Amino acid sequence: MSFGAEHLSIVSFRAPFPSRRVARKGASLPNKHHHNDITMRFSQSFTSALLLAAAGVAQAASSWSFDEGSLSIAAKKGSDAVKEKLNAKSPLSKPIALGSADTLKVTFTAKDNGRGKRPHQAFVILKEQDSGLEAPFPLTLKENGKAVVQIAQKEIPVNLLLSDKPLKASIVIASFGSATGFIAPAFDIEITTDPNVAPPQYEKPVRYGKRPEIHHTFRADPQSPPKIVSLFFALAVVATVPALFIGWLALGANVNHVTKAIGAAPLSHATFFGSIVAMEFVFFMYYTSWNLFQVLPVIGVVGVMTILSGTKALSEVQSRRLAGER
Amino acid sequence: MRSLLSFFAFLFVAAVSAISTTGDRLLVVLDDVAEKAGYSKFFGDLESRGFKLTFETPKSETLSLFRLGERAYDHVIVFPSKAKGLGPNLTPSILLDFLNANGNILVTLSSGSAAPNSLVSFLAELDIQLPTERTGLAVDHFNYDSISAPDTHDVLVLSPPGPVRPDIKNFFSVGAPADQLLAFPHGLGVTLGAGELLAPILRAPRTAYSYNPKEQAEVVDDLFAAGEQLALVSTMQARNSARFALVGSVEMLRDSWFDAEVKKIGATKAVKTFNREFAKRVSGWTFQETGVLRVNWIEHHLDEVSALNESNPAIYRIKNDVTYTISLSEWSWDTWTAFTVPTNDVLQLEFSMLSPFHRVALGLDPSHSTPEATAYTASIKLPDQHGIFNFKVNYKRPFLTNVEEKNTVSVRHMAHDEWPRSFAISGAWPWIAGIAATVAGWVGFVALWMYSAPPAGERKKETKKTQ
Repeated sequence: MSFGAEHLSIVSFRAPFPSRRVARKGASLPNKHHHNDITMRFSQSFTSALLLAAAGVAQAASSWSFDEGSLSIAAKKGSDAVKEKLNAKSPLSKPIALGSADTLKVTFTAKDNGRGKRPHQAFVILKEQDSGLEAPFPLTLKENGKAVVQIAQKEIPVNLLLSDKPLKASIVIASFGSATGFIAPAFDIEITTDPNVAPPQYEKPVRYGKRPEIHHTFRADPQSPPKIVSLFFALAVVATVPALFIGWLALGANVNHVTKAIGAAPLSHATFFGSIVAMEFVFFMYYTSWNLFQVLPVIGVVGVMTILSGTKALSEVQSRRLAGER
Repeated sequence: MRSLLSFFAFLFVAAVSAISTTGDRLLVVLDDVAEKAGYSKFFGDLESRGFKLTFETPKSETLSLFRLGERAYDHVIVFPSKAKGLGPNLTPSILLDFLNANGNILVTLSSGSAAPNSLVSFLAELDIQLPTERTGLAVDHFNYDSISAPDTHDVLVLSPPGPVRPDIKNFFSVGAPADQLLAFPHGLGVTLGAGELLAPILRAPRTAYSYNPKEQAEVVDDLFAAGEQLALVSTMQARNSARFALVGSVEMLRDSWFDAEVKKIGATKAVKTFNREFAKRVSGWTFQETGVLRVNWIEHHLDEVSALNESNPAIYRIKNDVTYTISLSEWSWDTWTAFTVPTNDVLQLEFSMLSPFHRVALGLDPSHSTPEATAYTASIKLPDQHGIFNFKVNYKRPFLTNVEEKNTVSVRHMAHDEWPRSFAISGAWPWIAGIAATVAGWVGFVALWMYSAPPAGERKKETKKTQ
């Protein structure tokens, strides 16, 4: 059997069984019928009465069927009714359209071996083709086997109404005893909905089962401009260094006093200039590998050296200025 | 080490008992204790599986499901009773308390006697509806036994039921002989509500229907249910995994139907019934002898190269690759076996904070599986959101006990030294070059400031001024 997954464990609707209403409609049926229908029924009940008199005939190998089957669609206003004859041997070839305000009426006469008789079971079963869900509609039966059911669109369970494919209708006639039951597809119903009316809502019942997968959507990684652009600007920045030195040289910058300064205070000048370069080296190490606790003591040592040697070295620079050599 | 321990634990369990995972005290509630003779094979099968049976009538004063606030029995079977109620010891609320206390209940009905009010209310609590007047008879004019019910058609003959959904494990008909049929004599069909805890085992064929033989013998004027909506054998598994089963026909369990031969209408040959094996499977499922899942262990670790890969750490970092493994066993009659997820179904892992960020399938991990346990594993990349997360396996399926496992871990954000270095980021190159240029300019400036001699022309001007 092929069944849609969600309906399977338990059928999820309670099919409406409007039997009392149907019974009432059935009772008012003869008034609406044509005269020839009524005469036919009279003759039929007459024959069935005759046959009842001959009750007790062995029923071996008898079987149920139906006769005089008809199907009609009545719109609420009563206009343009569709009427088709139902045949026990072959289903209707074309699907029947059932509008939102329409009522489908199925009538037939149940026969046991050709005699009109009331079966215990006479259903029209509507089946949704994808899920295999079925909704039975019992027919109201008369003693002589006359059966009738009216199915309005709103009586059809909502999960059948929402089907994309036509509903398959079968007729089941069976009863106790040895007579073989009758079950055969009879017609297809195409549900047409009113575009002005909101379609019925169907909420799927909760079923334990696998759930859809979820994959987290990660935020986009940070992006860099094209490398060539970064490289161009990096080189432009680096190019400022030679530009600066060339500018200074053009203004007459020189290092002619190195020998003089070293000569006057060799240790101080070497240490002072060395400590400034060393401080940059400490910063470089901090950037590449050291952590703050490695950096701080080294900075302390280098800083003290800068201060101590700086006082001497800068005094020497001052003495040159006072001597008018700068 | 772990497998060795579990092996000893397994030996210990096997030595203690070979039955249900929840206990062996079984109470049978019968209208008349003498009735049990008719079900001797069913009870004999239960006893041979290790259950200790106690027979009581609903009227008995000693009957009590609880003693000193604890369950006095582990399982209960209720047989149909002619009484209108079941007395003060089996009220609907006591039965519900019994389910809430992890007790399992098997209820049998019969079309011969109306269901007691107590059971009707109890079933209504579980969202199981009985026909009006508390009684009904399921008939099918197309699938009946032509030997015992040629006229009344109330002995339904059905094939052993397959799984109701393609992703559910088949407990009740797997391995059933092809030529055996299930007889459902004089039974009652019920309808089930839409709840997810309810699951039918045996549904009526599409041509079956239910009617009240007393009032609707001639005309079915008010149809209760028909076709597959009519559940003949149905189950409910509560959230605490306590189990409840409803068998619509008590006669199914009778000795006479265990041995009977049935001939489906239209068939040429009479075949043996499947009822004995089916009764064993339904009672075994209800009393937690099958379909019981156990989580043996759960392990998760960092799945990254050059990482410590310690088991079950309490903290991870965002975007870590993590592997999660869970080991499951299934109790099958008398032993723990490897649990295999049914085809079409998957075991899913959720990584969630309030709502799941990931829900992925857990795949088989053969390297950690043993004949008694199957390991399922999944690898995920943790989301880029820090906070307190749960690894969650929420495996609830019809006919299997619920598995709901939650392992909480913290997910921290990136530490400052876990980001890529700035020189690895091409966008940072101009800024790094800027620092280098500043350093070079500074060192150059210091040298010039200290060691630059005044240009020759300027010095002359200055000397002129001072003079």
